[in-house]
Amino acid sequence: MKLRRSSEIGVILLLGVLGCSRKPAVSKPAAAPPPEASYELRLGKALFRHYCQTCHGETAAGDGFNAYNLDPRPKDLSDPIFQKHKSDADLADAVRRGGAGVGLSPLMPPWGHTLSARQIDELILYLRVLAKQAGPRGPASNASS
Amino acid sequence: MARAKSLKAAREYQHRAVAIQQIWLRDFDNRVDRCTTCHLGVTDLLMKGVAEPLRVHMQTAHTPSAFDQFGCSSCHGGQGPATSTEEAHGTAREAGPPMTPTAYLEAGCGRCHASETVPEAPILSRGRAVIARSGCYACHAVRGQENFRSQAPPLTSLPMKTGGMWLRRWLHGPRAVDPNATMPNFYLSEKETEELSHYLFNQPVPWDLAKRIQSAEEEPTGNVASGKKLFSESRCISCHTVEGKGNGSAPELSKIGSSATRGWLLAFLRDPQAFYPSTKMPRYGFSETESRDVVGYMEDELRDFDAPKEILVPIRVNQTLAENGEKLFRRAGCFACHAEPSGSEEKFGPDLNGIGDKKASSLDFGRRTDLSRTLPSWLAAKIASPRSFARGLRMPSYELNREDTRAVVTALLSLGAQPVPEAYRFAPPTAAALVPGGPVGALIGRYRCLSCHRIGEEGGDISTAPLTFEGSKVQRDWLVDYLVLPYSLRPILEERMPVLRMSREDATELADAFESFYLDPATPQDPFAGRPASDADPGEGQRLYTTLGCRACHILGSSGGYYGPPLTDSGKRLKSGWIYTWLKGPQRWRADVRCPNYGLTDTDALRLTAYLSTLQSVPGSTPAGGAR
Repeated sequence: MKLRRSSEIGVILLLGVLGCSRKPAVSKPAAAPPPEASYELRLGKALFRHYCQTCHGETAAGDGFNAYNLDPRPKDLSDPIFQKHKSDADLADAVRRGGAGVGLSPLMPPWGHTLSARQIDELILYLRVLAKQAGPRGPASNASS
Repeated sequence: MARAKSLKAAREYQHRAVAIQQIWLRDFDNRVDRCTTCHLGVTDLLMKGVAEPLRVHMQTAHTPSAFDQFGCSSCHGGQGPATSTEEAHGTAREAGPPMTPTAYLEAGCGRCHASETVPEAPILSRGRAVIARSGCYACHAVRGQENFRSQAPPLTSLPMKTGGMWLRRWLHGPRAVDPNATMPNFYLSEKETEELSHYLFNQPVPWDLAKRIQSAEEEPTGNVASGKKLFSESRCISCHTVEGKGNGSAPELSKIGSSATRGWLLAFLRDPQAFYPSTKMPRYGFSETESRDVVGYMEDELRDFDAPKEILVPIRVNQTLAENGEKLFRRAGCFACHAEPSGSEEKFGPDLNGIGDKKASSLDFGRRTDLSRTLPSWLAAKIASPRSFARGLRMPSYELNREDTRAVVTALLSLGAQPVPEAYRFAPPTAAALVPGGPVGALIGRYRCLSCHRIGEEGGDISTAPLTFEGSKVQRDWLVDYLVLPYSLRPILEERMPVLRMSREDATELADAFESFYLDPATPQDPFAGRPASDADPGEGQRLYTTLGCRACHILGSSGGYYGPPLTDSGKRLKSGWIYTWLKGPQRWRADVRCPNYGLTDTDALRLTAYLSTLQSVPGSTPAGGAR
């Protein structure tokens, strides 16, 4: 499906509705440059790095600098099965209310009074990019900055 | 389901009768944007992921919630009132300035947001930071940067600092010598390098500096082992780097012993501010022997082991070459950064105000027939290789990588010909810096607190702790001890407070000044005043500490996380009023503070405050973190 430009007003052709599901970008041949991350994704990445990475790790695998001081350890959020079973709303809820709020460890703090709803949406957008590809051990597809 | 619904809605948009839609911004010079004539779905969440022109606008601070306040062209550029795609997007032959390409879109943020850092526009912020760091404002006029001063050092002591061979290498390509260098590459020929070197070595070194360097040169060599220990304790890499490790806002030091003479290093280390009055380097309180040891270590280990012996041999000046060098010094614009500006002279380079609104047709593309004839591509090429447009151009190359180039272009495109209307101008509230004159001001100057810390709107960003309200935050006695012998409050940070070898008298004078003047009016002296006794129950506070999970980030006793500062000594370090105000909203003083706001009730915040105020390590034990 391709997008074509229409020049006259009113002759607006809608040629394709792109996927509505939030699947990570399909892997491309090695030669193609990584796709430019969207503004929202870039903000999400910056938020993740600022607030989450120290415990959750750069790839959200639960291996951040501070993870080793925590019991229980942070979950591997890049696990495709985990990602599949959690809706965006579930994830946003856990970020907003923290571990204690959703019946898990209080070591995950609630961010609802610190981050705006929009920032939490951006964060989850980025978290979805960090999902490891299912199947043979492929590297996590990463947003380029 | 959702997809089918979206398709249906999209089809409806397509079949809708054509009618001009517009957003009229009365307060924005009566700007009219008719973009929504085609872009019908910008506020419709069903249009997520749909192809343009129907796609919903992404969520930003202003959209889709405030379209009627900001319109479209204020951020995207282009021709708002036009009624054909080509004219509106600016691709038609006779159309006005085109839309800003997506890659540089944050330029739009910068039209209204004038401050250096705009949190939601990271590319713009990065561009502005790169411009300031590169010293562009020294040659180019930009509104609001009238007081900019280059960080380039004065060259007066150079003939006694380094040798001819080192200087030639530096002039040939500063970044090859020091990856942290901010000096650009001027592409000097061999002949020009030679002439400039002779000119620079022909400068008379001021008498008092020359005397200091000379007598330091004659001192005995220091103790390398002791110097090595001092160097690491002093946390030089909070600003400098050694083999790339460190902050990088000051020069790389791994080869310093081969770029500066022993006499100069020693005299400089003892009083950097006498050499470079606007340097960011503090004057450490090293004893004579200690400074000798530090320089001994630099000469022994921090040197270029491949450099020939004569790298520090001075040039025997040839007057003819020096005279040609002087002309070059003026012609190349070296003085714009290296001499104290008088303030009245014209800038060396062209005025950059309005560069973001330049018409592509007015730009000189010269030899660059390969470029698309647009302003962004012209700017990007100008920055990437400034001399490729014509012969005889004088702008040097900053050798920026692609990301920095893109960021700088974004920042330049934000410089409009006219300031936006008052109602749209956004500047964060500013608090004046409270740096007094007299002995306290002199101490703040000597130890260069503002190189790393912020006080009000002034100061550097190396430290995460602003000092604006330090007196409300920490206890005076703790502060005196800390200034005398700082330790790592946050072990995770690379940039730590240097051990400045401050005397107890100096520390006391500074701590007293903070205690008296650097106060937050909103922080209560006694947060428990007028509250029931049960609010001051440390036992309840301790329970909260556990249930909230504070230990995830804070060390207390022998366990806890390494993210925030250890709280083992919080009762000795922090004032209770400040703990309480912090718990009620940690982002109050700095928006990017990572400690989450738990939304605590007054009672819970007070109880936690009561608990944290009781925490003190057993007397005699060392504080967590240690001195390193």
